[in-house]
Amino acid sequence: MIPAGLLALLPELWIGLLFSAILALDLRWKETRSSTMGMLTAVGLMPLFPLLWWQHSSLHPADLLSGMYRLDPMALLFKGIFSASAILVTLMTRELGKTIQRGHGEFYLLLLTATLGMFFAASSANFIMLFVSLELIAITFYVLTAYLQTDLHSLEAGMKYLVLGSLASGLLLYGFAFIYGATGSLQFSKIQEALSHHQASLPVPLLFGLLLALSGILFKVAAVPFQLWVPDVYQGAPTPVTAFLSVGSKAAGILVVFRVLQELFLLQAHQWSPIIAWIAGLTIAYGNLGAIPQTNIKRLLGYSSIGHAGYLLIGIATATTLGSAGTNFYLISYLFTNLAVFLVVTAFSRQTGSDEIRDYAGLSKRSPFLAAAMFIALLSLAGVPPLAGFFGKFLLLMSAVTEGYLPLAIVGAAAVVVSLYYYLLIVYTMYADKPEDPTPIPVSAPVRLALLLCLVAMLGIGIWQGPFLRISLAASFQ
Amino acid sequence: MTAPITLSHLLALSGLLFSIGLVGVMTRRNILLILLSLEILLSSANLAFVAFSRSLGDLSGQIMVFFVMVVAAAEVTVGLAIALLISRKAGNLNADELRNLKW
Repeated sequence: MIPAGLLALLPELWIGLLFSAILALDLRWKETRSSTMGMLTAVGLMPLFPLLWWQHSSLHPADLLSGMYRLDPMALLFKGIFSASAILVTLMTRELGKTIQRGHGEFYLLLLTATLGMFFAASSANFIMLFVSLELIAITFYVLTAYLQTDLHSLEAGMKYLVLGSLASGLLLYGFAFIYGATGSLQFSKIQEALSHHQASLPVPLLFGLLLALSGILFKVAAVPFQLWVPDVYQGAPTPVTAFLSVGSKAAGILVVFRVLQELFLLQAHQWSPIIAWIAGLTIAYGNLGAIPQTNIKRLLGYSSIGHAGYLLIGIATATTLGSAGTNFYLISYLFTNLAVFLVVTAFSRQTGSDEIRDYAGLSKRSPFLAAAMFIALLSLAGVPPLAGFFGKFLLLMSAVTEGYLPLAIVGAAAVVVSLYYYLLIVYTMYADKPEDPTPIPVSAPVRLALLLCLVAMLGIGIWQGPFLRISLAASFQ
Repeated sequence: MTAPITLSHLLALSGLLFSIGLVGVMTRRNILLILLSLEILLSSANLAFVAFSRSLGDLSGQIMVFFVMVVAAAEVTVGLAIALLISRKAGNLNADELRNLKW
């Protein structure tokens, strides 16, 4: 009889095994074979999907390993999201080519480390575990952001991220200390029990702790007023890292918000729900208005990702099953849509070395496939039916209306129009303007395949929502 | 005759350290001093954990502190490495000069 804790840990063990294998190959092979190493990493991550599915269908949700490790449908769904984004980001990294001068193998190792951190964060049931896994993600991302060692932009982005990120961890930790002091435990299940005595209103130390911890987590999600780092870091970091930050790291942040608010503090929802609703509205407005004047595509995507964080928070603010299912659904569609955009950005900058939007002029003639993929992905990001982004936004706005947050729903709907404006400006540049340099842009086979997969997913999730909605519902708190 | 140190004394000290760290991160312009302020900030949280652990008679808070120390060391190591690369590239460690990216 194999102990249940071991079976639950199988995905993490598999990533650890893959890490050791890539490490051994990295020591043995020289830099010339780095793209093979990237392929191995991507292929090696694929068995995680059947493994997670098997865990979902045959293991019971439980707190394992002395209550440190939580196995539940929500953790499994988010682990699926993390694995899919890690695979797509690895394929993107292969396109970096000479941009990274040395240490390709280590780049893949760091990506795997961040993925492992996300897996543990998804399964944490204790503040010690949660803090260590969040820091595992964060510290890995500091290194990844500053990876282009000869580029002062990348170093600057890394330093800014490190200082602000550590500040956020300090706030988070201080908040945890007060929650611990007031409830007497670091274990989620025991904290929940202790909190059930404070249904009407929270005593001051608990409220203080909750607010501090929330600020630390909302930093990761990039919500207003903790969003200042996003544009700089997104612009300065290597593109695959930006992509991973915008999907993987954000999803991890959302998951922790879920765990803390909807699991630990669910009974006090009437106290935090209006705060989160305000933050969501301000985040949507800030991200979408800030994106309008941008001329650098990565910076623009940074602002737009702030906007999307706002939408994700709507589902949490409503504190209902429909809301959290909406957030889960939105994350699944956001994963494929946003990574499709970043795949195009990587393929484009490999050939041209530029991230400026004006250089995208005439992309439709240089590479009709890239231009079409970008067009569809941007429409889905904006939320145009029948693409995936539409249904997610629809669910979230619907949950906001049914919970009485009508102004929030109006802000969300208005922001769709604003986002269409700046997304379509890019499309206009790609299709209507004449290219300065008409040489075609080659697209490598893995990127083409990944883009096709993302496009199929965008259309599939948009038209055939049923199964994805069922998954999102199963993974939300009841 | 000295009064015993109570939870509130420790929390006041921890709050003081927290403020020193926070103000230091925001006002200092040298990257090394910013990193030092961050360490003070994390230590203040550690002190709060130990204080609560003592008053609750529960060990898990002290276990948390060990993990935080390791994490803080890792964080500052990465910070120093990036600071070293910046000083090689830019010639100084002034945070005000890190403004090549549009703010």
